[in-house]
Amino acid sequence: MAEEDLIICRCEEVTLAEILQAIHEGARTVDEVKRRTRAGMGLCQGKTCRKLVTQILAQHTGQPVGEILPATFRPPVRPIALNILASVEGEKDDAP
Amino acid sequence: MLPDVVIIGGGIIGCSCAYYLAREGVKVHLVEKGPLGSGASKAGQSHICLWEQPEISLKLEKASKLLYETLSEELPLDIEYERTGSIAIVENPAELSSFEQTVQLLQDEGVSCQLLSPDEIIELEPNLARDIAGGAFFPQDAQVNPLMVTLALAQAAKENGAVIQTFTEATGIELSPGKAVVAVNTTAGRIPTKAVVNAAGAWSGAIGKMVGLDVPVIPRRGHIIVTEPVPSDVINCKILLEAGYMQTLGVENKVAIAANIQQARSGNILLGSSRDFAGFDRSVDPDIISAIIARNLCFMPILSRIHVIRTYAGLRPYTPDLLPIIDEADTVEGFYVASGHEGLGITMGPITGKLISQMITSQQTDLSVEQLSLSRFKGATRLA
Repeated sequence: MAEEDLIICRCEEVTLAEILQAIHEGARTVDEVKRRTRAGMGLCQGKTCRKLVTQILAQHTGQPVGEILPATFRPPVRPIALNILASVEGEKDDAP
Repeated sequence: MLPDVVIIGGGIIGCSCAYYLAREGVKVHLVEKGPLGSGASKAGQSHICLWEQPEISLKLEKASKLLYETLSEELPLDIEYERTGSIAIVENPAELSSFEQTVQLLQDEGVSCQLLSPDEIIELEPNLARDIAGGAFFPQDAQVNPLMVTLALAQAAKENGAVIQTFTEATGIELSPGKAVVAVNTTAGRIPTKAVVNAAGAWSGAIGKMVGLDVPVIPRRGHIIVTEPVPSDVINCKILLEAGYMQTLGVENKVAIAANIQQARSGNILLGSSRDFAGFDRSVDPDIISAIIARNLCFMPILSRIHVIRTYAGLRPYTPDLLPIIDEADTVEGFYVASGHEGLGITMGPITGKLISQMITSQQTDLSVEQLSLSRFKGATRLA
């Protein structure tokens, strides 16, 4: 398997080649890579790939890892069913 | 090489202006304070809506949709454009007659739509709740991936010679003694130019102040919920919304909520929607999220065990009369405004860019933009 075929984002099946293409097109932050490739948009919301993407960005843009803008974190921390979130306010909850 | 035009704002509006201007051979320099599409453009759903009134809006929507059909062929990235149609659903029988009047009015305006009985709706969408009163199908409506549209327009503009500079904030605009634009100052230096387009979305008011103009655009917050991907046969028509959605536009003093279910090509469902005024606060309010989900589950109970993977809130550029501003200011030569689209920035993005391009290159505009002038607002004259 060629190195470029490595899967970086497992949820959305984004390869190293696609990440490199996004960087080539001008992406310099984790969110910009995400918006171009969907890396980090999947079920785990980048928990697995965001560190890899940061490293790839550092390697290919020459920025230190610590200076690369991290991805935005948004709730929920992990997937949660709609009916549970719907009743956070104390409304009826039909779930067992 | 000095730019002919500096565009402030790299959302769908600014990128559309950049694209249509660059295509005309105009030298464009776009500055964006964050990454591209990082304001309202990344915070919406997917609907290209062809039935939001009044008449001028309908004209803009229709013209923009025609441009989308071409853009989906000519842009360098896949913008996931698809004519899906949309279904508006009335829940409460008491609201049916006024909805039917609205549909009649839209038909008179030339909007293609047909009223549907509850049985007809259930036939189209077997997973909808049974206790609905009626609705209508809008066959011309379409969907798109707004972020990809923004990125694709920017890339195409670049291919036509535009400079797209992200992480660069406009800090001031220099005027000549005769009140004409001379230069834009940014965090990355001074850019001499004779024309500026204020496409800063919810932040347009601050850009207006730089030239002493009151641009009455304020941020109106909207929340969206993203689910895990769902098989494509759960929802047939990819855009289902509560007919009461139209009424949420005019609600001013509280949080307005209406069900709005849209499935993206990726399979993720985007659930909306809310409208409230919270200043520039983009944090997610958990009570609003709960209320939106509860409202959507009334219509689509089958989704109740589907997982939420993300929630977000964005700031839509609101104007007091709910119409955008697409205009060159009367009192400052070379200062153009393309802002205030509220929830219709995605729908109206292409036509807005084209109109601004036609104004700047002194061509006849595709539509009369008189009603979209900045001077229609009281006090929209130069500040003291």
